[in-house]
Amino acid sequence: MMKFALFLGCQIPIRLKQYETSSRLVSERLGLELIDIEEFNCCGYPLRNIDFKTFLLASARNLALAETKKLNVMTLCQCCYGALKKADFLLKENLSLRKEVNAVLQQEGIPYEGKIEVKHLLSVLDQEVGVEAIRKRIEKPFQGLKIAAHYGCHALRPSQIVRVDDPGNPSIFERLVNVTGAESIDWLMRLECCGAPLLGSHDELSTEMTLKKLNNGRESGANYLCTACTYCQIQFDTVQQMILSQQGSNSPLPSLLYPQLLGLSMGISPEPLGLKMNKIPIREIGS
Amino acid sequence: MNVSLSSKVLHWCKTLIHSRRFSKSWMGKSLSMIQLMELDACTHCAMCTSHCSVAIAFEGIPNINILPSEKVGSIKALASGSPLTEQEIRELQEGVYLCTNCYRCTVVCPVGINLQNLWIKVRELLLHRGVPELSVLSPLSYYRGLMKGETVAGDYEEPLTQAREAISAQCGLMKKKDEVLHLIPVDEKFKGGLDLSAQAKNFSVCFGCQTCTTVCPVVGHYENPQEVLGLLPHQIMHAAGLGLRDLALGSNMLWDCLTCYQCQEQCPRGVSVTDVLYELKNLAVRYTKEKR
Repeated sequence: MMKFALFLGCQIPIRLKQYETSSRLVSERLGLELIDIEEFNCCGYPLRNIDFKTFLLASARNLALAETKKLNVMTLCQCCYGALKKADFLLKENLSLRKEVNAVLQQEGIPYEGKIEVKHLLSVLDQEVGVEAIRKRIEKPFQGLKIAAHYGCHALRPSQIVRVDDPGNPSIFERLVNVTGAESIDWLMRLECCGAPLLGSHDELSTEMTLKKLNNGRESGANYLCTACTYCQIQFDTVQQMILSQQGSNSPLPSLLYPQLLGLSMGISPEPLGLKMNKIPIREIGS
Repeated sequence: MNVSLSSKVLHWCKTLIHSRRFSKSWMGKSLSMIQLMELDACTHCAMCTSHCSVAIAFEGIPNINILPSEKVGSIKALASGSPLTEQEIRELQEGVYLCTNCYRCTVVCPVGINLQNLWIKVRELLLHRGVPELSVLSPLSYYRGLMKGETVAGDYEEPLTQAREAISAQCGLMKKKDEVLHLIPVDEKFKGGLDLSAQAKNFSVCFGCQTCTTVCPVVGHYENPQEVLGLLPHQIMHAAGLGLRDLALGSNMLWDCLTCYQCQEQCPRGVSVTDVLYELKNLAVRYTKEKR
């Protein structure tokens, strides 16, 4: 059985619980054992604008905690993934930086030695579990469902650090969507940013980025958008709903999380996958 | 049963009367009665701090108000009318903002204090005093954005504008468009300071091809990007290379960066454009804080 320390981050437990529950359900069926480390803290991502060393310290503490349990880390959020990968890369490469960080971590007796790996849900499913193993578990394949797979920035870039797939022409997410029987559509903006990083600091720019992508997905014939990141999903679900209610518009492009899509095709019922917790209803396939 | 109920009511009344001493201070007047009682109920057991998602940040930013248990102490002092110094109030303001709104503090509090709501309330109160809080220009503001119209009283945009203005006030050259720039002597302190992250030292190999600017979705969003964003990514790399501090730090581009890494990914010279922008943001925050 493959074992990972599950890194949830700050937002999932309070604002996107369905990402956790659906990921746990599909992981269990696919033979992934997920271990919880209660002491995990913020991944450091939101602190990076303010102070690099503080970001690095926050990130490194998580890596060190997983290392003491001899576990590789699996993240669900791509911003967490990008932050932890960045910290892991620097700490493995730059010994003076590691020494500086470890001087603080040593107070808790958990210096980081760089002996673990950080993975994202998508690469665990594609590379560790494997698409063929997933295919054997599909009980209710979708038919005629068109999905726009939204990659999310930090699964792809900076490629030197995150190393999930070819940053210019990736195929991992489409592969994982297609195995459910759904059809992953080709769309122009599939690799663009969702706009979330600027929500709260420049709302107008943030939401316009979001709307551009949604419009492109809709025009390209998608029934749903599919995400594998906390911030992307909140942006395309909660924030899309906020925008639509302000505009009085009623033609959303609903978004669902990849483990929800996968779970449905594995025959798991919508309730435990938390489909009802999505703000914009997933009607046709979720009932 | 009745005895325990009446003793509970009595205790509640006592707490209520006790909490009224808060009602004279501006902070006390702005908090709800329940929040004042919650301040009194805190036993300073520090369970919140031991579960706080960002407590580790205290090791990098030595502000005790990052720790929730200590924040409560400062808020309590303000509410009961104890004069905190301006510096202490600013530290509290930073402390309540350096929070990922994960609600862990509230979930673990053995007394049942809704700490998260207290932070949100105090955050808005302090932000509207008008002292710029630079942390608003970070993804820590995501929750404030989600809650817009619900928990945010007063002018939502004001703190964001103030933070940007505070930073641009430190970059006077940006406003003097006709000024002749002096490249010698090089601002060594600024140039030398650009290696915090050990990943952002390579801006000087930029040969000005503008690929970063061409692929940037933010630049592409505007008809006249320079009007809104100031210097564009390739110009910022150039300014950093020349050691022109004001020009490298004074553009809206820094704060409107999505950190999507398109620029860095496609740079033919291998310049870590996004990482350099991160680094410049850190420096802008540092300089502006020092100048106060």
